[in-house]
Amino acid sequence: MKYVVELSGRTFVVELDAGVARVDGGAPIAVTLDDVDGTPVRLVSIAGTLHRMTARRDGPRGRYILRMDGRRFGVDALDERTRAIRDLADAARPSSGPVPLIAPMPGLVVRVTAAVGDVVQAGQPLVAIEAMKMENELRAPAAGTVRAVHATPGSPVEKGTVLIEFS
Amino acid sequence: MSAGKKQKAATAVPAAPVAKLLRKVLIANRGEIALRIVRACQELGVRSVAVYSDADAHAPHVREADEAVNIGPAPSAESYLKGDVIIAAAKRVGADAIHPGYGFLSEREWFARAVRDAGLVWIGPPAEAIAALGSKTAARTLAVKHGVPVVPGTTEALSCADEAVTVATKFGFPVLLKAAAGGGGKGMRVVRSAGEMASAWDAARNESKKAFGDDAVYIEKYIEGPRHVEIQILADSHGTVISLGERECSVQRRHQKMIEEAPSPAVDVDLRRRMGAAAVRAAKAAGYVNAGTCEFLLDSTGEFYFLEMNTRIQVEHPVTELVTGIDLVQWQIRIASGEKIPFPSEIEPRGWAIECRLTSEDPSNGFLPSTGRVDYLHVPSGPGVRWDGGIETGSVVGLHYDPMLAKLIVWGATREEAVSRMHRALLELVVDGVETSREFHLRVMEDADFKSGAIDIQWLERRLESLLGSAPDEDALQAAAIAATLVADRDRRGGGRTSAAAAAAAAPESASAWARRGRTDGLRV
Repeated sequence: MKYVVELSGRTFVVELDAGVARVDGGAPIAVTLDDVDGTPVRLVSIAGTLHRMTARRDGPRGRYILRMDGRRFGVDALDERTRAIRDLADAARPSSGPVPLIAPMPGLVVRVTAAVGDVVQAGQPLVAIEAMKMENELRAPAAGTVRAVHATPGSPVEKGTVLIEFS
Repeated sequence: MSAGKKQKAATAVPAAPVAKLLRKVLIANRGEIALRIVRACQELGVRSVAVYSDADAHAPHVREADEAVNIGPAPSAESYLKGDVIIAAAKRVGADAIHPGYGFLSEREWFARAVRDAGLVWIGPPAEAIAALGSKTAARTLAVKHGVPVVPGTTEALSCADEAVTVATKFGFPVLLKAAAGGGGKGMRVVRSAGEMASAWDAARNESKKAFGDDAVYIEKYIEGPRHVEIQILADSHGTVISLGERECSVQRRHQKMIEEAPSPAVDVDLRRRMGAAAVRAAKAAGYVNAGTCEFLLDSTGEFYFLEMNTRIQVEHPVTELVTGIDLVQWQIRIASGEKIPFPSEIEPRGWAIECRLTSEDPSNGFLPSTGRVDYLHVPSGPGVRWDGGIETGSVVGLHYDPMLAKLIVWGATREEAVSRMHRALLELVVDGVETSREFHLRVMEDADFKSGAIDIQWLERRLESLLGSAPDEDALQAAAIAATLVADRDRRGGGRTSAAAAAAAAPESASAWARRGRTDGLRV
């Protein structure tokens, strides 16, 4: 089975068959995955070298936060067929417009410095959210015009709440 | 150093406390520091009373204490900042003293006074000393008066942003806005031009108001490139004040200390003596008693400037404990009990200690706070490793409190050994369920500048992006790609356990543990 793995801005094709992996068509490598019972820790053996690893699902299928050898990787890993189906489904969906400003964590809105119709620059602070007693400035993801403001000072927001939409 | 005395304290039978020691201490704090104080109490044979908000009912500091009192709902303003409720709890359980820890009410003069007025012992400096030193403006005035050098700045709180601009123009930009009552980077803003003042002013005041209930802000000249070096002092009620040497705390992000060490790579015996003398002078002038910390900026020429006095135990106190062999929290309790300091006035640090603050902040996402449940925790151990933590498996990290989860502290014979040991310990650490600063600390321990000690308080801001953006080598990337493939393959075939919840349910797998072990061992050969 062939898998397409994206991490650290790179794409690898890993062929996995009966405990043998080939990365980008390279030499066969003996690999195993073992669970450490009672923990989320897994032992990955690659050509005889052990790596301690944890992996958590992160959003849609195929996405993981993987931690191994002191590194954290945001990973997209899917077999070729599932990935092709996902890409087709994505292509069929109409574009949803510019990326909105989304609350990256739950907190309390303390300031909103943008109004509908404002032209903003990428990186411009638009909303301040307080969490753990610190104010965090949320900045415009890209240049654009503010189409809608959903954040109100004094109101709590959940992680993932759309705060500001652009056109 | 009186090693014999220390030894005796550590091996004393807890059931037989020193006669004159405090009997029962209420700890007005939470998290790792509350647990740290509980441990000191237990080692001294003093009873400990924890307080807790509704959110902390099952927290480690509650479970380890001898008694525990609920003091209200989760928000700190309704629990850990309720001085009257805490004092009433102390009276009710028959405590004879209150230890405030750090943060919360620890540097509130009114609270220290109220504790004393209630007939309880305050484990910290007298309210008068907090008044003289706790406010940064008051502390500066006192420092200037006693010949301790200070950075140019205002000694009184400013009235408005316009006044701040006028003063800043006089000192020359950049300037620093600081909350008079502040600490830990809260209510602090660097302002690089007049145009930035208005929003920085509002932010500093708002943060200060929320964190400390006080919105007084002052301004000072921002010295670029200095180190943050602080002196730990210990003062008893018999007039003895000693310096326990310095801590280097230059690895800071947004003025928040991330990594501390003792001693400092930039301080020699002579400078240590001079900085220590200045700190002792400031403490004596204020009538200081108990543990305290004098913070200085140290520039590249060896000139140092008094910043402020922290009138409480510091987060980073363990590094001093490890290089001096003195248990600072135990001595806070002993001093509050009236004991005399038995240590010599000059103590040379032994070896090297480093502390990393493990926070629930996500370095891969701009250090934004991360919340959730700690599904799994594996704490590092082995030679020279200490873990002062307030979390365990099952702990829920919410938004009500400070993001610091734990401190990982190591000791080594040399700085090089300490750095290497910290790196090893961080590799052992597993926290699953909440994003933490672990990987950030690993990258710092791998950094050539940090390893050589060539750091100042702007170092991290300059290097953060390249530190976190540094790509692992090709072998590591390929290994990660293979690991991801194995996980995806397992998930596709329905054997997935990519969450701890699934892990618990998915225990019975095809192969037995022995068979799997055999496979692993076979591959190792």
